[in-house]
Amino acid sequence: MSTWLLLHYKLPNKPSALRVYTWRKLKRLGAILLHEAVWVLPDLPRTAEQIQWLTAEIQEMGGEAYSWRANTIFGESDEAITQQFNQQVDMVYSDLLKKLEKPRADLQEISRQYQQTAAQDFFHSKLGYLVREKLTSKRGEKA
Amino acid sequence: MKWVTWKNIGVDRMACIWLIRRWIDPKAEFIFIPIGEKSSPEDGEPFDIPGERYSHHGGHCTFYALLKENQINDPILTRIAQIVDEADEIQEVTLEPAALGLDLICRGLSQISRDDFEALERGSLIYDALYAQLKLDSPQ
Repeated sequence: MSTWLLLHYKLPNKPSALRVYTWRKLKRLGAILLHEAVWVLPDLPRTAEQIQWLTAEIQEMGGEAYSWRANTIFGESDEAITQQFNQQVDMVYSDLLKKLEKPRADLQEISRQYQQTAAQDFFHSKLGYLVREKLTSKRGEKA
Repeated sequence: MKWVTWKNIGVDRMACIWLIRRWIDPKAEFIFIPIGEKSSPEDGEPFDIPGERYSHHGGHCTFYALLKENQINDPILTRIAQIVDEADEIQEVTLEPAALGLDLICRGLSQISRDDFEALERGSLIYDALYAQLKLDSPQ
């Protein structure tokens, strides 16, 4: 059984910058917004810490925030949620694999995106290993 | 003075403890309370506990808050604050490649230490080393 972190918050309508700021932080963390209602993350030491601080920050910005540790009981399975997380990173990974096929691929930019995505790859997607392997073999190549 | 924080210290709190002992309160005593517990004023000065003065504010880590509140102006410490910020907060733009490594090492130190007291001693060595090398590399 997986344990999930849930976050639900409300921020003042204005200034809208606060809402954008919070949304971007959650996206950067790799969280998923289920049905425009609740943000979900797997419960890991790092994600739990980040949610702890984000919850405090939302309150500091004048908002209201609730965060929970939760297990699914009815409805969609843990696998279905896990799949959503995998889809999110796989989309970027497949794009990177395509870019890697091109002659004179920008390896620096691809590795930057890879590292960013790998930080959100909570369930160790197979595509991620592929990107990593390709990058490792390409970096030694003479043009 | 007594300082209170939650158990199982990581990158930010190891940095804070090191900073407190070296720059703020050489006689500091540390008390570790269970995660999630509210500290009471008689325990001591709380740090890195949400909602307290010495904690994350405006997307900055607790180490940063300690520097700011105590008006410590040391460029090397400011640099360490940037590194800890990137290790411990969500950042859209990162400039300090050392951050991820430092986070990993500090988490690992907690894993291999008997308790937080052992972890804080080992963590202090890491930050002494980081400070010394950043100082050496900085423009004179």
